[in-house]
Amino acid sequence: MKPEEEVASLIQGKLQSSVIGVKTPGPRRADIMVKSGFHRDAVSVLLEGFPQTMISTITALDLGDEIELDYHFWCGRTEATIRTEVSKSRPEIETITDIIPGASLYEREVFDLLGVIFLGHPDLSRLVLPEGWPREQYPLRKDWSPELTERSGFSENKPVKVGTVWAGGGGGSLVSVVLGPQHPALHEPERFLFKLDGETVVDVEPRLGYAHRGIEKAAEQLMFFQDVHLVERVCGICNVAHSMCFCQAVESLGEIEVPARAEYLRTIVHELNRIHSHLLLLGIAGLEVGFESLFHYLWRDREIVLDLTERLTGNRVMAEFSTIGGVRRDLNPILANEIKKGLSVLKGRMRFYKKVFSVDPTFTARTMGIGVLKEHEALKLSVVGPIARGSGLEIDVRKHDPYAAYDEIPFEEVIYKEGDSWARLMVRLDEVAESIDVITHAVDNLPSGPYRIRVSRRMPESEALSRIEAPRGELLHFVRGNGTAYPERVKIRSPTLANIISFRQMIKGCYVADIPAVLASLDPCFSCTDRMAFVDVKDDRRWIWSMNEIKARRERKEP
Amino acid sequence: MSLGVPFFFRVLVFPGFLFVLLITLFCDWFERKVMARMQNRMGPSYTGPFGILQPFADYVKLFTKEDIVPRHAERFLFAVSPILSFSLFVLSVFYFPFDGVNVFSNAGFEGDLLLVLAIVTFAHFTLFLSGWSSSNPYAGFGAIRILTQFVGYDIPLLILAVSPSLIARSLSLAKIAESQLIPFALLIPWIFILFLIALQAELEEDPFDIPHADTELVAGYGTEFSGRKFAFIRLSKDVQIVFGAVLTANLFLGGPYGPVLYGSPNIWFTFWFILKILFVIVILQLVKAVCARLRLDHVLRANWRFMVPVALLAFVLTALYSPWAHFLMGVPR
Repeated sequence: MKPEEEVASLIQGKLQSSVIGVKTPGPRRADIMVKSGFHRDAVSVLLEGFPQTMISTITALDLGDEIELDYHFWCGRTEATIRTEVSKSRPEIETITDIIPGASLYEREVFDLLGVIFLGHPDLSRLVLPEGWPREQYPLRKDWSPELTERSGFSENKPVKVGTVWAGGGGGSLVSVVLGPQHPALHEPERFLFKLDGETVVDVEPRLGYAHRGIEKAAEQLMFFQDVHLVERVCGICNVAHSMCFCQAVESLGEIEVPARAEYLRTIVHELNRIHSHLLLLGIAGLEVGFESLFHYLWRDREIVLDLTERLTGNRVMAEFSTIGGVRRDLNPILANEIKKGLSVLKGRMRFYKKVFSVDPTFTARTMGIGVLKEHEALKLSVVGPIARGSGLEIDVRKHDPYAAYDEIPFEEVIYKEGDSWARLMVRLDEVAESIDVITHAVDNLPSGPYRIRVSRRMPESEALSRIEAPRGELLHFVRGNGTAYPERVKIRSPTLANIISFRQMIKGCYVADIPAVLASLDPCFSCTDRMAFVDVKDDRRWIWSMNEIKARRERKEP
Repeated sequence: MSLGVPFFFRVLVFPGFLFVLLITLFCDWFERKVMARMQNRMGPSYTGPFGILQPFADYVKLFTKEDIVPRHAERFLFAVSPILSFSLFVLSVFYFPFDGVNVFSNAGFEGDLLLVLAIVTFAHFTLFLSGWSSSNPYAGFGAIRILTQFVGYDIPLLILAVSPSLIARSLSLAKIAESQLIPFALLIPWIFILFLIALQAELEEDPFDIPHADTELVAGYGTEFSGRKFAFIRLSKDVQIVFGAVLTANLFLGGPYGPVLYGSPNIWFTFWFILKILFVIVILQLVKAVCARLRLDHVLRANWRFMVPVALLAFVLTALYSPWAHFLMGVPR
C-alpha cells in the first residue's frame, strides 16, 4: 500500500462514520475530511499510528458561512491534512495543543487572523497583529477590508497596555530584561522578555509580529504570476525557497508539467541559496559568541556564492529565478564551469571551518552543551530543519518528500544527535558541503531541453500543498484557486514560526551570555516595524510606545 | 621641583597630556588597522593618509553629539565617572619614563609601580560606577560583570607585575626599565606570557570582553552614555589599552631603552618606547583575533583555579631564579 493510502485507511478504519471524505490528491498527500468535533480523535489516531507525526501548520479559510480548518501533519512519509469546519457565527473549536504542543502558535495565528476561538488553549493571545488592533476584525476573513479598520480609529501611534504580569514574579532577585525589538544580537526586529535571576535565565516570553506585512492577504489581490514576486519578498535570505515553493504549489494546482531542465536549474539555485544562507548564519553565530574574525572570514567566502548567484540569476540576493512553468534564465556551459570551480574552492574552505568549529577551545566552550533540545522535545514541539536534525530527527524534506530534481541526485541527510547549539551549527556546516556536491552533480547531469513553458494565467478551482526544505527548515505553501487568475487563499508557513517555540525550552537555565549564541543557532528570520516595548522593573508593568511618543518624550526633556 | 613653564610644558604637552592623547589616537588607529588586516578587511582608509585621522574624526563627531541623561540615572555620578576614569587612566600613564624620565621630570620614586597599579584599580572602579549609575539593566549587568571579572584578575596581574622587580631589585618603573640589559620578556618568559593573559582580561579584550559583550549587553556599562560622556568612556578605554601596552613595554621590553644612534637620546627613548608599545598592541590584537568570547563563569573558574595559583608559583620561581638572571645579565651581586 502507498504511504498516503496507509494514513487514509488508518483514520477511516478507526473513525468510521465520522469521516466525511478521503482523498489522495498526489504522492505522499492524504486529505481527510472529518465531521466537526472529531478532529481531536483523528489527530490522536494519527499520533498512535505514526509516533513521528509533527504538525506542519493550520490553514484556515473563510468559506462564507463556515470557516474551514485544515490541520496539516507530516507523519513520517505522508503530509496528511485533516479538515473540519466551524460555523462563522460561533467560531469555536477544541484545541489540540494538549495532544501536540507544537500547535500552540498555529492556533494563536488562526485566532488572531480569522477569529477562531480554540477552547482549552493555555494562552490564546495575539500572535502577529498589534495589541491595539480592534476586536471583531479579522483580516483574513473575506468580509474584512482595510477601510473597516481605518473607520474603527485604530492607529499604531497610540500607546497600549500589554496587560498580563509575570506569573509569580515576586522573587526579589528576579529581573526582567527586554531584548529587542532593536538589539545587536537580533538582526531583525523581534522582542524577547527575559526573566533573569542574576545571570541565569528563568523564563522567556517572545513576541512575534513585528515583521508581519499581511502578505497572505495581499496575495489574494494579485494574480498568480504576480504573486511569485510577492512571496519572494517574504524573506530576503531564503527568497529562492519561497518563490520555488509557491511555483510548485501553483504548478500542481494547474497540473503543469515542468521541464526537467528547469527542475535541475531550480535545484542549483536553491542549493546556492542554501549555502549563502548557512554561511551567513554561521558567520553571525561566530559574531554572537564574540569571534569576529570567524565572521569576517565566513562572509568573505560567502561572496563566492553570491557572485555565482548573480552570474546565474542576475541578482546577488533576490534571485527572481523561478516562475510558474519553469525558470527565467538558462545556464550556459561557461558559467557551469565557473560554478564548479568556485564551489571546489569553497569546499576546501569548508574543511578548514569544520576544523575550526570542532577544535577551537573558546568556540566549543561557548556552544557545546548549551541550549540543549532533546529529540523527544523536538518532536513534541514539531520543530523543523537544522534544529530538528541537530536533535537527531530525520526530517529533511529533500530526502523524504523529494521535489524538483532531488529524487535523482544522491546526497546525505546530515543528522547530529547532541541537540545543542554546536550540533545545530555543525548540521549547517555539513549541509553546505552536501549542497556543493548536489550542485556539482546537477551541473554535470543537466538534462537538455527547454527551461520554461508558457502557462495560462487562469488556474482551476482546486488546491495544492507544496513543501520544500528551505535553509531554515520545512517551508509550506498551501494554495487554493477559484477558477480565475487570482488565488482564493495562499497560506505560507515559514520555518521560523515552527522553530521559535523551541527557544523557550532551550534557553531555560542558560546564562545571559548564552542568549545570543542559542538564538543564533536557531537562525530566526523576522523583518521591520516601528513599535517599542517597555518594562518597569519595579512593578512589572508593561506597555508599548509608538515612535512618535518616544520622540515627544525626548523633546520634552523631562528630568 | 619648580613649577615654571617647563613643568607645565611637560605636563600639558610633552610627554604629558597632549602626547598621551596623540599616542592614544594613533594606537586606536593602529589597533583597528592591524585587526582589520588580520580579518581580511580594509580598516580605516579615507580620513587622512591610510585613515590615520579616523579616530580623531570619530571623537570630534562624538563630542558634537546630543548628550542624553536617562531620567532615573544617578546624575552626579553619571556625569563625573566618565571624566574621572579618563583622567585616572591618563594620570597613570604620566608615571612612565617616556623620554628616560617621567612627566614630572624625575626618575620616579621607589614604589611608583604600585601607585600606578592602584590608580588603575580605582579607574576600573569608576567604570563600574558609570554603568551602575545609569540604572539600565544592560549597563547594570555590564557593571556587575566588570567588577566580578576585575576583582578576580587584578590579583594575578598584581603578582605578575611585581615579579620583574625581584630581578630589578626595585619597585620603581624607571629602575625596572633601566635594569633590563636583557629584556625581561626573554629572561623570564613565563611571567611575560602569563602577564599578557592577565592583561588581556584587565583590558577587557577578547576572549575576556565580557563586561561590554555587544551581542549580549548592547554596550555593557556604556549603554546609556551618549555624546561627550560616551566620548570620554571610549577615550578612557583607549587610554587603558595604551596603559596596558606601556606597562608591558616598561616591565618586560626595557621601556625607553634601545640603541641611541645620534642626536638627543630623549627622542630616541621616546621612539623606542612607542615602537615597543606598538609591538605589544600587535600581540594583544593577535590574541583578540583568534578567540571567541568566553562566559563569565568560564573566566572566573579559569582565574581562581588556574591563574592565581600559577601566578604565585611563577612568582616564587622568579624569586629563586633571580641570582641566575643577574648572572646571565652580568650584574654583580
